Amino acid sequence: MSGYFLGLDVGSISSKAVILNDREIVASAVVPSGTNHAVASSSVRAALLEKAGLQIQDIKAGTFTGMGNRNPGTDAFAGIMMCNARGSHFTFPSTRTVIDIGGQGSQLITVDQAGQVINFNVSGMCATGSARLLQVVARIMQISLDEIGLLSMKATRPSSFSTSCSVFLETEVITRISQGDSPQDILAGIHGTIAEKIGSMAASVAIQDDVVIIGGGALDAGLVANIGQKLGTKVLVPENPRLIAALGAAVISRERYTAN
Amino acid sequence: MLDHCIGKVTDTEMKKGISDFFFTGVDIGSTMSKAALIDAGGTMRAYVVGPTGAEHRRRANRIMEDVLRQAGLMLDDVAWIVSTGYGRVNVPFADKQITELTCHARGVASLFPDVRTAIDIGGQDAKALKIKDGRLTDFLTNDKCAAGTGRFLEVAAETLGLSLDEMASISLQSDNPVKISNICTIFAQQEIIGRISDGQALPDILAGVYIAIASRVAKLARQLKVEPPVVFTGGVAKSAGMVKAMEIALGMPLLVPPEPLITGALGAAALARDHALELMQRGEFKLHKKQLAEAIFDYGGDKN
Repeated sequence: MSGYFLGLDVGSISSKAVILNDREIVASAVVPSGTNHAVASSSVRAALLEKAGLQIQDIKAGTFTGMGNRNPGTDAFAGIMMCNARGSHFTFPSTRTVIDIGGQGSQLITVDQAGQVINFNVSGMCATGSARLLQVVARIMQISLDEIGLLSMKATRPSSFSTSCSVFLETEVITRISQGDSPQDILAGIHGTIAEKIGSMAASVAIQDDVVIIGGGALDAGLVANIGQKLGTKVLVPENPRLIAALGAAVISRERYTAN
Repeated sequence: MLDHCIGKVTDTEMKKGISDFFFTGVDIGSTMSKAALIDAGGTMRAYVVGPTGAEHRRRANRIMEDVLRQAGLMLDDVAWIVSTGYGRVNVPFADKQITELTCHARGVASLFPDVRTAIDIGGQDAKALKIKDGRLTDFLTNDKCAAGTGRFLEVAAETLGLSLDEMASISLQSDNPVKISNICTIFAQQEIIGRISDGQALPDILAGVYIAIASRVAKLARQLKVEPPVVFTGGVAKSAGMVKAMEIALGMPLLVPPEPLITGALGAAALARDHALELMQRGEFKLHKKQLAEAIFDYGGDKN
């Protein structure tokens, strides 16, 4: 069976798209979502096809997830959780738990051996369980998001915070800075706060190894280490953790096409 | 009537009768500090309100000086001082610290003796109190999440470049409030920016912000079963737009004191008076010589 299968994920911050053939990823693209999700979904699709050197007619099936508008000609819809589960399972067949730390919240999904969703828990619309808190803190501390992970791993005495609300944490981080806490200790403390939130989500879902962390938050090595510690387990991170939902959508496209 | 008790007080300065004394409550809140001064009959003689800032102890001293000046009294005229609020430990001249819930209940009941439910929205928390016969019977608070607190309003005001007063008056022009679907303040801020770029009218966005806070606090209050009369206090109650949103969310009229910020301080003063009278009746009252200036210089030993 030959052909190309498309997956599209329009997230709150960036839009991602992946093309899969019968074996592997052929091409991927990421563009900022901006303020118009319909525009974002068509521009990431165009960018991807150009990168892959393909025409829309070459795509056998497409699946769309996230917040944009699907192209009625090609795309079916699949829920984000199902896409995260299938994408993680495609990357690591041993996946049994997926933790997605995105810009708008987190979700924790348990999957079976075939990568089908068994159970899940979502953080709700609270910035603390999301990568958004990292953005807020990075802004106050005037460092880039990419620096947070490595810097935090140099912490000697992680700061402790009295609140878990991102808005109140913003104030408390400033207080800690004025009290002389080092940037690495503050960042490690923030990671601890997020890990705590993930840990409380995990408490009501029976998590199993292997645990895979995806989404923008997975790019932060300090956060990943903290979550692993909190859950008392080793965690796997895909090479490009932000692409997993789009990859999962492409996997679903291929499954749907094969099933027909 | 309690003059006979005074004889047992050893301090020679304590030759005055109870009716010559005054009582003060000092409420150091997260955002605003307040002080209220009452006389022996329980009537308020003076109050002051000012921003807390980062230096609680200095603020406590200043607000005490201000309330005394306003009442035309000396510190020695004050028999008993109760501190309350988030910064109550930083009031070195207080005779006693009492939690803000107890003080709020007492303060609200002193203004509205029939009160059954009190809702207080402060700078970084919200409380719902059930009160019966002037006593606190049950309560719920939210201080874990900025949604449903004054902080949410501050973030919205900052995002829109408005003062809190401007927000309140502009919101009243709304006839079609925008729905703010995010609960989290950080995400709501993003949503407000989105609404502006969508071209929604400013009064409608502002009314939507008040409705978002009101529905969050109403949800908290409903867990306690809201019974009228309901009194609405705290800095957020100063905004007419907020009062309107809160009345709609609860489906009943609200009583708002003329100065909704000072109920905690007023309750602290009333409790100071209750406490001092009780001690006097037992003959155990002792007047401590209070000092403000020393505390101010003390402060210099702190950080900075």
